[in-house]
Amino acid sequence: MIKITNLVKVYRTEEMQTTALNQLNLEVKEGEFVAVMGPSGCGKSTLLNILGLLDDPDSGSFLFNGIEVANFNERQRSSLRKQHIGFVFQSFNLIDELSVFENVELPLIYLGVKESERRKRVEEVLDKMQIMHRQKHFPQQLSGGQQQRVAVARAVVNKPHLILADEPTGNLDSSNGNEVMELLTDLNEQGTTIVMVTHSEHDARYSHRIVRMLDGQTVLTDIMV
Amino acid sequence: MLKNYITVAFRNLMKHKGFSFINVLGLSIGLTCCMLISLYIYHEYSYDSYHAKGERLYQLGAVFNNEGELEHRATVPSALAVALQQEFPEIEESARLLSLFRDDKTLLQYQESGENVKSFYESKGYVADPSLFKLLAYNFIEGDPATALQNPNTVVVTEEIAEKLFGEESALNKTIRISSNTNGDGDYTITGVFRPHNVPSHIDARFLLSPRGGGLENFFLNSTTLLNNNMFFTYFLLKEGSDAQQLEKKLPAFVERHMGEELKNRGSDRQLFLTNIEDIHLASEIEGNVTPAGSLTYIRILASIAVLTLLIACINFMNLSTSRSSKRSREVGVRKVLGAERSFLIWQFLGESLIMALVAFIFAIVLAVVFLPVFEQLSGRDIILSFQQHGFLLGVYFLLAIITGFIAGSYPAFYLSSFKPVQVLKGRFSSSLSVVSLRKGLVIFQFVISVVLIIASVIISNQMSYLRSKDLGFIKDQQIVIPLRSETAKSSYASLKAQLNSHTSIRSVGGSLNYPGISNPTDWLMYKEGSSAQNAESVVITHVDDSFLQTLGLKAVAGRLFSPDFPADTNNHIILNEKGVAEFGFPSAEEAVGSWVAFDWEGEQYRFDIVGVVNDFHFKDLRVPIQPFGFLLVNAPIYNYLIAHVNQGNMGQTLQVIEERWNALNPNEPFEYSFLDQDFQKNYEAESRLAGMIRYFTIIAILISCLGLFGLATFSAEQRIKEIGIRKVLGASVSSLVALLSKDFLKLVVVSVVLASPIAWYIMHEWLQTFAYRVDISWQVFALTTFLAVMIALVTVSFQAIKAALTNPVKNLRTE
Ligand SMILES: Nc1ncnc2c1ncn2[C@@H]1O[C@H](COP(=O)(O)OP(=O)(O)O)[C@@H](O)[C@H]1O
Ligand SMILES: [Mg+2]
Repeated sequence: MIKITNLVKVYRTEEMQTTALNQLNLEVKEGEFVAVMGPSGCGKSTLLNILGLLDDPDSGSFLFNGIEVANFNERQRSSLRKQHIGFVFQSFNLIDELSVFENVELPLIYLGVKESERRKRVEEVLDKMQIMHRQKHFPQQLSGGQQQRVAVARAVVNKPHLILADEPTGNLDSSNGNEVMELLTDLNEQGTTIVMVTHSEHDARYSHRIVRMLDGQTVLTDIMV
Repeated sequence: MLKNYITVAFRNLMKHKGFSFINVLGLSIGLTCCMLISLYIYHEYSYDSYHAKGERLYQLGAVFNNEGELEHRATVPSALAVALQQEFPEIEESARLLSLFRDDKTLLQYQESGENVKSFYESKGYVADPSLFKLLAYNFIEGDPATALQNPNTVVVTEEIAEKLFGEESALNKTIRISSNTNGDGDYTITGVFRPHNVPSHIDARFLLSPRGGGLENFFLNSTTLLNNNMFFTYFLLKEGSDAQQLEKKLPAFVERHMGEELKNRGSDRQLFLTNIEDIHLASEIEGNVTPAGSLTYIRILASIAVLTLLIACINFMNLSTSRSSKRSREVGVRKVLGAERSFLIWQFLGESLIMALVAFIFAIVLAVVFLPVFEQLSGRDIILSFQQHGFLLGVYFLLAIITGFIAGSYPAFYLSSFKPVQVLKGRFSSSLSVVSLRKGLVIFQFVISVVLIIASVIISNQMSYLRSKDLGFIKDQQIVIPLRSETAKSSYASLKAQLNSHTSIRSVGGSLNYPGISNPTDWLMYKEGSSAQNAESVVITHVDDSFLQTLGLKAVAGRLFSPDFPADTNNHIILNEKGVAEFGFPSAEEAVGSWVAFDWEGEQYRFDIVGVVNDFHFKDLRVPIQPFGFLLVNAPIYNYLIAHVNQGNMGQTLQVIEERWNALNPNEPFEYSFLDQDFQKNYEAESRLAGMIRYFTIIAILISCLGLFGLATFSAEQRIKEIGIRKVLGASVSSLVALLSKDFLKLVVVSVVLASPIAWYIMHEWLQTFAYRVDISWQVFALTTFLAVMIALVTVSFQAIKAALTNPVKNLRTE
């Protein structure tokens, strides 16, 4: 599903250049659950952003479902993204002004799904995530675990093939964290490919494979059994 | 999709109440200003738009060459109408109108059954050709417009006058007595009653007299001069299909044919022109029209004020939106990650500003309705609109609100929607330098407008108080003016004067044809002894009695004043002012006395011996320089005014005494009076209206600007709350923190003052040029304005700064 070769990403600011990804290679197969680990600043989030088509690389190749997307423009990336990719963030990133239902509904609106269909799908997902009873609430009225469940619901509502999660449990206590990991595992078992950045060896154990990074390069791949 | 836009926008507005309040309030006020001012402008442009034949109706005007200065006037000789109509087949019909000029007040009396006489003064009276009602649309509710005014001594009145005279009864064919300074006294039969239109007209007639039967008949109907007696308004109805411009091109040849020779003799020239009836009201280059022209300058000033106040409110929205952008950047990032395209986000933000503008629109409608009466008073116009016009305007205002929403929202929308999700989600957000400087620029722009308005207000009010207080060269206070309208009143002058003089609270009484401050139509072309008509000077002339000059407190610089001791002064003696003496070229006032000045009329010389010279004084308002002036003594009862100089003290009692004496002598005429100083001040009505309007709009502009500043200050204090906490823990004093937070804003205000001062100076310098006598623009004005602007800004900003500086730092630091 994903094949990255010699990917380079350099951040330039006035004072300095940071090479966030340095000739990175990575392959992720359809249906895989990959955990990415590494010290802070090694380029994990940068990698995830590029995988999620939020950012474009400076050089190298990025094949997504066999299509070269490295030099897609904003519009092409956006359209690919909203159809195929879901995101889960460490800080949830729910929109405070919107209710649980409306937050989850948002990706479907951007996809142009009809109102009745939207309602059906949102309710389905909320039900699955067991937050149906909270659908009228606003993010600030929910606990961290509930918020992250809403975020996961939002990430999967458009039935993406790929979910990218950047430290999804980073802001949660262990029991809430485990719940989220269960959710992700379920999704993966139903066929969704998942790439997750984490600092927790415990969480990484839910995955099939751990990719370890250092200074913008993959250094090791552990296969979980 | 649309529903989503709207709910999101609403939630955002409700969530940030302070932000929404500032914006809605500012936009409401801005829109209200626009609505009220546009009503005024609409009113000004709707004059005479109701005449069925409007496209073919033209007013004749003439260009006079006044010693090289071209003067457009609306008044022409009466014979021109006839002559032009005879010569040009394009003219289907013509009508003339003559204003009962002088001071425009006429006595109307109706002898009711028995002894009882109903009597009151009316203004806005005219003498008109019967054909006037064929040309212009008049709404007759009684009588026949086709025949009214055809018979001698007939009159057409407004519905209101008819009601005043006869109540419910029909007015038709009743006879009333009309006494006019201009047209004499006579009995008139009412042949028509009309109801004025809902749309304004440049002809504000309340009653119209037939030319035949009045004192002006001869002058109106039989005068043949095509050059003199320029006092008739002339209207033409052009034949269908004929072109006014083509006709206008033929007029120079007409002038040459009929007046060429005489003009050559006079060394003068004359041009004729046509003005479409719908353009008359705003043709301010034409002087002396039926009613004063509306001012395009004035309309432009008001229109700019309207646009600028709305712009200030829009800027508030832009600045507050972009300064909040760090707060909203995360939302933008999330939405983009979830697949929102930029256009969607642009519409989302535009939706917010549109909703804000629509809410403001509703408030503004309410505000406009509430403040319309105040505005009508300020602008001096009653704004009457039909139902359809209301509907139309409502539509226009709705559109205006939408446009406002777009203008206010577009920049923030494009800016906010441009955020890159990767960056904003990392919390790396910081406003780019260009956005910050644009924000500063916009704040400066707002304050430049406010400061220009402040300076303008200060200078205008300086000039106004100068106009009020300047020594006019005569005593203007404690002077009661009593108009003598009818022959009866005029002939009672001598006894009234004698009786008033005997009263202790009255110092002096004088009579005259005119007094300072009102228009004086008489001027003569005179030359001095030893010179000739080629070197004549224009001298304004008025006839007075033997105590008028003393009553006004004029001083003899040389020679003497008229007085009861020299009754022979009626015999062609003149008193000039100093300016006259200088213009004639006399070496000194003393040497002028004993010499003479004269004018020529039909080959004969009329000579006036100079018996005295008085100090220069302002007979006209301070817009115009003092002109040569001559007083002539007259002893016949022809005075139009009695002026009484009274002692300070109980004015009410004095007026009561005068009224008693008046009633005894003129039982059938109501007592009426005015104060000379107030009459003089009336000349500045347009200016004082402008002053009033600018004062109000200055306050409004400052208010909206300060709202915005307040919002920015609130926001900046919020953003720096942690910094403030740390500084406080490290020992910063409250005052140093306030200074820290206020400093940046004050800098902007100071920059604004620096930019605004030269602009304001230039504009006000131009405005002051319209006065011959004016104040200097002093540096104090700018110092005062700087002080004011800085104080206003400081109060606005420091409120938030003090609040932030006073909060407990521990609280702020812990939340992080
Ligand atoms: N927008 C940016 N501008 C400049 N440098 C950046 C930016 N984003 C990330 N970096 C730098 O790139 C490197 C990799 O960052 P990141 O991918 O966020 O690391 P991780 O997620 O592994 O902690 C770091 O050194 C970081 O400072
Ligand atoms: Mg990271």
